[in-house]
Amino acid sequence: MTKDFNIDDISNLASIHLEEKEKLKLQKDLEIVLEHVDALKNIDVKDEKIDIHPLSKVLELREDESTPSLSHKDAMKNSPETKDGHFVVPPSIE
Amino acid sequence: MNLKPTIGMETHVELDTESKMFCSCKVVETDEPNISLCPTCLGLPGALPVPNKKAIEYIVMLSLGANCSITKEGMFHRKNYFYPDLPKNYQISQFDFPVGVEGSLEIVIEDSLHTVAIERVHMEEDTGKSIHLGSGRIDSATSTLLDFNRSGVPLVEVVTKPIISSAKMAVAYIEELRQLVIDLGISKGKLEKGNLRFDANISVAEEGSDELGVKVEIKNMNSLKSLEKAIDYEILRQTKMVQDKESIIQETRHWDENKQVTLSMRTKEGSADYRYFSDPDLPNMVINDEFIEISQNQIKETPEKKRKTLLDTGLSLSDSNYLDKGQRWLYELYLSTVKETGDCKSTFNFLTGELQGQMRKAEISELPQWLNSEKLASLINLFENNEVSFTSAKDILAKLLIEDIDPKSFASDNNLIQSSDNDEIKALVTSIINENQDIVERLENPEDKLVGYLVGQVMKSSKSKVNPGSVKEVLLKELFG
Repeated sequence: MTKDFNIDDISNLASIHLEEKEKLKLQKDLEIVLEHVDALKNIDVKDEKIDIHPLSKVLELREDESTPSLSHKDAMKNSPETKDGHFVVPPSIE
Repeated sequence: MNLKPTIGMETHVELDTESKMFCSCKVVETDEPNISLCPTCLGLPGALPVPNKKAIEYIVMLSLGANCSITKEGMFHRKNYFYPDLPKNYQISQFDFPVGVEGSLEIVIEDSLHTVAIERVHMEEDTGKSIHLGSGRIDSATSTLLDFNRSGVPLVEVVTKPIISSAKMAVAYIEELRQLVIDLGISKGKLEKGNLRFDANISVAEEGSDELGVKVEIKNMNSLKSLEKAIDYEILRQTKMVQDKESIIQETRHWDENKQVTLSMRTKEGSADYRYFSDPDLPNMVINDEFIEISQNQIKETPEKKRKTLLDTGLSLSDSNYLDKGQRWLYELYLSTVKETGDCKSTFNFLTGELQGQMRKAEISELPQWLNSEKLASLINLFENNEVSFTSAKDILAKLLIEDIDPKSFASDNNLIQSSDNDEIKALVTSIINENQDIVERLENPEDKLVGYLVGQVMKSSKSKVNPGSVKEVLLKELFG
């Protein structure tokens, strides 16, 4: 059984703030999800061929040719704040 | 306790394609921000990625050039992390089925060959660029500006096994990898432009131990010099910590160029934190034998092959490596010139010393059209056969750089051909001996430094038109019999 996770780490990775009440609820929900996933570990797949992608279709590649992009104005138009042609976001330092 | 460092390198190579990795936006090199964008590279909802065939060819070429096996049935994964320069909140990358696996690169350190094992070569996309505004310090920025022109540019990550044992070895590896991508023609390979970016994973452990120490990742080294300094610094830091019984934490540190130290950035995510999962937008990527053959046929040259060609001319390993990593024209010029002179060392010395030196001084970056290997070989032969002095050879070269002349005719017309006529030399020697009796009386043996002085006087009086070797011979005979 995998219950070894820290809800604070997970909310941190997802960059979301959780109240204590929400943490408790999510902790329970995620434990149930993990229990379900753990069930997969009991299946014997030793002799199975590995399917590495759910789709049987093979990837199509395109030629290396450039086509006109969005205009600068269109590319920026949904941004709430711009400066000197850049998108502006709150300071974000890792 | 004897500690040994272990280093693994992760290098990102920006491929030189016309369009981006998963969309048809042009790859641009400009300071004008946000001019080559579409819904795909902006990560807008509903946009779908379509991979660039040329980029896949290039990564197969790089994998083959690094002697890797090719994963014929591979796939793309989503590497999830939150950072504003990554608009989708995930990077399309590869996880357990990278294009190239288990390769190796031959590297040269001074005069010896070493092998660096390559663990994987995988395909991914670049992020945008962030500019942090504020007081200048990254951690007190007031806002961040984003330019997504680079977002989605094809990027290959080459990861070595943790087997590099010194900063010098890491530098030699990066030099080899850089030359490989240049020779393959798949990247411009300019460090200063960020075409090649590298991180070093460093740990120290007790000598003889099978286990590695705690790994620290060093980022932000943008030149070979800073790579070398950062690794040396980090090895010292960790060694001291272990000796002082302090525990090293797994983290990412950045190299501070001004302070010349590594500083902690953040605790390093483990692979699980990236929540890799196969990208449902991109079905399996099949690289069949035909595709591999097409890619293989595009490989015309690798640094390893060039080095072998150079070694075959008789050059030493370090001289071969020097030409291998230098400019293409110099490598070609050496090969065609040595064919005519038959003397590898004097050809190498003349081209890398005199020719490059004079070109640098005169600020010439390209050889004049007329200055071909035939003329250079003729000039090298003139001084190697003692027909002109080295000083005259230098003067002839200077002339050749600005005017189309024939070195031999020029030497004759300008009275630069040295005389090996013994009577003429004998007369000059006698006259110098007579003029320098005080010195002659102080001479003790043929090895005396004053012999060199007297040879110099004879050369001066002849205006360098006699062969110094013959002068010395005659002088010693006259003085010591």
